[in-house]
Amino acid sequence: MSDQDRTEPRTAPDGTDQDGTGQDGTGPSVLDRRGFLKAAGFTLTGAVANGCTPAPIDQAIPFLIQPEEIVPGRSLWYASTCGGCTAGCGALVKCRDGRPTKIEGNREHPLSTGGLCAVGQAALLGLYDSQRLTTPLLAGQAADWATVDETLRQRLDAIAARGGRVRLLTETLNGPTERVWIERFLGHFSDARHVVYDPLSCSAISQACRRTHGVALTPRYRFDRAEVIVSFDADFLGTWLSPVEHAAGFRAGRSLEGDPPRLSFHAQLESRLSLTGSNADRRLVVRPEAIPGLLGELTRALARHAGVSLGNGPTPAQAGASAIEPAALDDLATRLWQARGRSLVVCGSQDVDTQVLVNLANHLLANDGATFDLARPSRQRRGDDQQLAELVRELEAGIVDALLVRGVNPVYDLPNGSALATALESEKVPLVVSFASHHDETAAVAGVVCPDCHALESWRDAEPVAGLLSLTQPAMRPLGQTRSWVESLAAWVGAPATARQLMRDTWEQTVYPRRLAGAAETFQNFWDQAVHDGFVEVEVEAEVEVAVDGAPLSFDIAVASRALAAAGQAPAEPPTDAFTLVLYPKVAILDGRHAENPWLQELPDPITKVVWDNYASLSPRAARALGVEQGDVVRVDVGNSDQPVFDGAPIELPVVVQPGQHDRVVAVALGYGRGGTRRFSELGPRWLQGRRTVAPGETVGRNVAPLAIVAADGQRHNHRSGVRVEPTGARYELASTQTYHALAVPDALAPVSGEPRPIVQETTLPAYAKDRGAGAPHGHLPGGDLWPEHPYDGYHWGMAIDLNACTGCSACIVACQVENNVPVVGKDEVRRRRDMHWLRLDRYYHGDLEGDSDAEHEGEHGGGVDVFHQPMTCHHCDNAPCETVCPVLATVHSAEGLNQQIYNRCVGTRYCANNCPYKVRRFNWFDYPHRDPLENLTLNPDVVVRSRGVMEKCSFCVQRIQEAKQQARRQGRAVADGEIQTACQQSCPTQAITFGDLGDPASRLARQVDDPRHYRLFEELNIRPSLGYLRRVRHRQDDEEIDHG
Amino acid sequence: MGHRITTLLLLVGITFAAIALVPRVRGLRMPGNFQGFEPQQPIAYSHRLHAGELAIDCQYCHAGAERSRHAGIPAASVCMNCHRLVTASRSTVRAEELAAEAEGRPATRVIAPELAKLYSALGLGDDLEPDADRASQPIAWARIHQLPDFAVFDHRPHVGADVECQRCHGPIETMERVRQVESLSMGWCLDCHRDPAGAGLGVGATPASIDCVACHY
Repeated sequence: MSDQDRTEPRTAPDGTDQDGTGQDGTGPSVLDRRGFLKAAGFTLTGAVANGCTPAPIDQAIPFLIQPEEIVPGRSLWYASTCGGCTAGCGALVKCRDGRPTKIEGNREHPLSTGGLCAVGQAALLGLYDSQRLTTPLLAGQAADWATVDETLRQRLDAIAARGGRVRLLTETLNGPTERVWIERFLGHFSDARHVVYDPLSCSAISQACRRTHGVALTPRYRFDRAEVIVSFDADFLGTWLSPVEHAAGFRAGRSLEGDPPRLSFHAQLESRLSLTGSNADRRLVVRPEAIPGLLGELTRALARHAGVSLGNGPTPAQAGASAIEPAALDDLATRLWQARGRSLVVCGSQDVDTQVLVNLANHLLANDGATFDLARPSRQRRGDDQQLAELVRELEAGIVDALLVRGVNPVYDLPNGSALATALESEKVPLVVSFASHHDETAAVAGVVCPDCHALESWRDAEPVAGLLSLTQPAMRPLGQTRSWVESLAAWVGAPATARQLMRDTWEQTVYPRRLAGAAETFQNFWDQAVHDGFVEVEVEAEVEVAVDGAPLSFDIAVASRALAAAGQAPAEPPTDAFTLVLYPKVAILDGRHAENPWLQELPDPITKVVWDNYASLSPRAARALGVEQGDVVRVDVGNSDQPVFDGAPIELPVVVQPGQHDRVVAVALGYGRGGTRRFSELGPRWLQGRRTVAPGETVGRNVAPLAIVAADGQRHNHRSGVRVEPTGARYELASTQTYHALAVPDALAPVSGEPRPIVQETTLPAYAKDRGAGAPHGHLPGGDLWPEHPYDGYHWGMAIDLNACTGCSACIVACQVENNVPVVGKDEVRRRRDMHWLRLDRYYHGDLEGDSDAEHEGEHGGGVDVFHQPMTCHHCDNAPCETVCPVLATVHSAEGLNQQIYNRCVGTRYCANNCPYKVRRFNWFDYPHRDPLENLTLNPDVVVRSRGVMEKCSFCVQRIQEAKQQARRQGRAVADGEIQTACQQSCPTQAITFGDLGDPASRLARQVDDPRHYRLFEELNIRPSLGYLRRVRHRQDDEEIDHG
Repeated sequence: MGHRITTLLLLVGITFAAIALVPRVRGLRMPGNFQGFEPQQPIAYSHRLHAGELAIDCQYCHAGAERSRHAGIPAASVCMNCHRLVTASRSTVRAEELAAEAEGRPATRVIAPELAKLYSALGLGDDLEPDADRASQPIAWARIHQLPDFAVFDHRPHVGADVECQRCHGPIETMERVRQVESLSMGWCLDCHRDPAGAGLGVGATPASIDCVACHY
């Protein structure tokens, strides 16, 4: 009041001026202060109201000429091939009004059989990436294709005229069209070579096959035929070769059908806890250096079973103390031997001798041609590390005249990438052409950049497995001025044509003659069918016919014996204070090629659940010894190693304490530190306390590729001995979507502490064979309801998740995110537990989480932990706790059993989230940015984008339910079982998720509910969820409990 | 003196504000309710003529109504099915013919001004054939019946249940320019969903779903 008193004229209640200040003395005012304010207020309101305009008129712009197949609002599906990696999984691309909005797996595809991994699902966002190059670049400047073609034609012709050296460096390319055009292009020059490398190389496998079988091929590992699988550090369910194919095959062997139930046995020997290891029936923790020796011991044991003499070599006793208990290894050998012909040994090592031993083991087990298929080999990784090493030498010597790079980023992902960048920049190589779609590390040092189209914009083909051609067709026109790289090659050798024409011609000449008996009669029909199906099976090419027609490939046992002798030399025992550094690919990030995809960056790692970073994983005991805990920054120093370090600076990383890891191993993920991830400094909501996902100028994580080793034979090894780890004293706050990890009842809570809580239930195979309901916890379930029953006259939707099938691969999370317009929130919001994924994958450990056990042999008992994966989403309870507490009825029950969340009614009290026992409700704390109009094309037009202050959660993909119901009603029928597939269910490589009508006793879902393995989570709360789980069964003896310390 | 000026200014302000507010107050309704919305369209297309006088079936042009969520606005190519031949009203064509006959010259093609806009959008030449030199430009119609983003309306079940188009769109066959007749509010939808017979949809009509997720997802 005092301010007013000073500045305003004092007025009496009758409106007359009391003191006369501010008056001119001509008499009482017509308008007193109150009147003035009223009038001014009215005027202002009028002015504001007049300023209001009606909502802007929306325009509806129809086609000028209606394309025949397009009905606005209806989706079209095109069969294609996933371009996320080189595995060649079949995909169906959903196009709505001319733009792709979803990529799903193709059920009919012989390789992937319907699933699609997280990377494949997320490739959609890569299409609508505004950072993709839209024009070719000439010396860093945008140019048009005519100029680029003219320049390159001249320079290439000059090189050809003087007989210069041309090198084409690519990732694995296995399609016939690319092969034909690469040959034609390189044939233009007298000294030209095609060098293939994979950043996640498996080249030792084909090198080993060259030695043992005489053909440099990668066998197709048939997990679907294997009953006993022993994997040495091969993450075949996560990142190795072809994860979707392997996961589907692995699942086929674990169906639990029949009597006795069918369940393969899987043992994993590894140093860090991989996704595959987390699914193992028996997991043995060993250092990477111990693997050749162990494989040697296993092979000898198998040879003893087979009665084959493998020459003299050191026996395990002579070779020194074994890394694991000899009995454990003998047991594995016995199991393998008993299942010979139906067993499989695989290894992720990049050591050729070690892979020779793998081939020997599979040969002794008579797996050749059964689970170890060289007749129809895999072509998913055809890189050759040795040729790459030779190329790098040539480049550094400056004797290459032109280098063309397609699909790889050597400056980033080679250990000596920075030296290579210097060589390329210093014009030792006069002409560097990159086909990169982004201005990546290699494109930055290339004189010419000719951006290739995205896989969803181009015609391509692939032959992921010999005899299976998988075809990619464009789902839309290129967004920018990009061009299929095969078109570029053709244009530069004077045969310009469209990619479709080039491919059709190639198919007519080379693929159609390989058609199977009974295939289409004309090429046109053959082609149409292939485009329709997305794949075609043909005869295997002559290159591998030796394996098909004649006897099985002969196995050179002498070579194998020599490798065995080499493996017998026990590795020098490293100093006890030194660590072994293990570099590994993460499930979503792989080699970093998709690092600019925020969906993948925000996908929690299946094991650590950390997002947006790479980190140094240490075992609990190692962390304790170093005096560090999660989030402490350590320096990983490889300085005094006898192996060269290409980028000497010690690397500093935050620690993640990882149970189940070897105590002397520090594991760091590859694929981080990509230059393009600097863009994420703008990501996420901006508010007072908000912190950026990355500081300006910094990248997401650190690149650790320079720490890898290139051996004398050129093979790249992703582990390194003699590494020191030192605490720096600094702290770093990691972002993790899960902070509680133990399945056991906490000591403080119950007398039965230490027992696993029945959240994730499991049993063993012998117990299950005796009693299909084994593993059910004892407890009392409440009877009677406070609430009236929900009557279900029509459908009653429900879901079941088979925990025995779920591998934790996380494909479902991204599938849900794409389908339901779930926003990316950024690292800082995840730190605040505000991640928005509707579906989360809980991962629990049970056993020795703290590394207390004092095992005699380091690898004993899986490092002491069992791992559990549990997909968790809205359970659509009948007696839903969320529904009873919503004050505005924004979450209510539908007549079909769905727990509906009505965004436009929600006022954001968040009571429902507090009352949800599954904690699956997600609150929009902000309007998450949809700033990029191009990126917004990923949004599903069938699902609303939620605004700030609104709760959201899994809807069981109600838009798909409604669509299927409409279709069914039009045809005058009920929705058929299996007709509706939720997004998560569709993407699942192992078909772990079943959705359907609980009221239909014939449905697959109803059969699963009747399965004795079925249980409902928190059933004791009497909330009656519509989602249930099928208990997990481990192939393990009853008494074979893990060591709980 | 200062007070008089202030007072005068305020009075003038009040008067202007009041006058300006009158039409707005009259048109006041709940936010999002565009009942009575009748915008100018880029081409003065007459539903009265086509749907009323000529009695063309609604789904001839709005073909999506039975197959898709959206009834759809017809592409210009659909218009051309008839308007390749019909370029102007019968009376003007007849007048031209008579005039030509009187002047002893061949009759020229008469193009109605509104149809000229259609041909120009399609980039057609004078002979009504595509002309490479003329740019084509899609027609941006003003959208009238529009629901908020959080509501999903699907034409298929409504057409399938024999709900007449006029039930929601009003007497469209009498409208020269299309106007939103109904409020399209949730309550208005639910009146019918709860009691279709009472809402005049035939005696045997069964109630439709009133689940929230029938429309909101």
